[in-house]
Amino acid sequence: MELSSEPCGPDRDAEPDRDAEPDARFTFANERTFLAWTRTALAFVIAGLGIVQLLPPFPGVPWGRHLLGVPLIVLGGVIAMVGYGEWAHNQRALRRREPLARSVLPRILAVTIAGLAIVSAVVLLLSAILKP
Amino acid sequence: MALPGGPEDFDPGTARERTELAWSRTAISFAAVGGAILKTSMAAGLVVLAISIPIWSLRRLLSAAATTAARPRQLLLVTVTVTAVSLVALVVALLGHTAR
Repeated sequence: MELSSEPCGPDRDAEPDRDAEPDARFTFANERTFLAWTRTALAFVIAGLGIVQLLPPFPGVPWGRHLLGVPLIVLGGVIAMVGYGEWAHNQRALRRREPLARSVLPRILAVTIAGLAIVSAVVLLLSAILKP
Repeated sequence: MALPGGPEDFDPGTARERTELAWSRTAISFAAVGGAILKTSMAAGLVVLAISIPIWSLRRLLSAAATTAARPRQLLLVTVTVTAVSLVALVVALLGHTAR
């Protein structure tokens, strides 16, 4: 569906290829998406902090908490920056009445979460083997 | 193409209201991160906690102006802030005390 040809916008009579202000609802929707990614980023930061600060150490793997928590915190910063880039990109597409590009964030999220799950399993196994 | 039957067709004000609520949730998220940092570093935690106040005030500012031009600087500022907060959290995680 091409969201960009909304007829209710203030510039609905503009040429299709002209840069024009999109319908306010699209601007708000794009902003909410940006805010949702911002909250996702903050949730990753909290999760990373929680792992490093609140978990008891893994027996035999003293660096295990940092191995799991630090990438989550870094990912939080990355998600925030990519989220802004996508907001700007989508807003530009809305103004130009172009179709919206596919977001790369779900892929980043899926790959990182899967990677962390594997690392978690490895840390737990190592901890079970190396337990003094 | 209009979005037929969506709640925003009956009441366009809901888009504005939902966006305001999204800003509220984001401000609360900042407060939550501040609370989490507070446990290790009182000063850094209070600073992050205080950030939730200007985020909260952006809510009214941006819902009043529904244009593209009113946004890039504010949203970029929010992004820079989240990145800075994650850097603070990184320092706290690497240097702060951990559970024994």
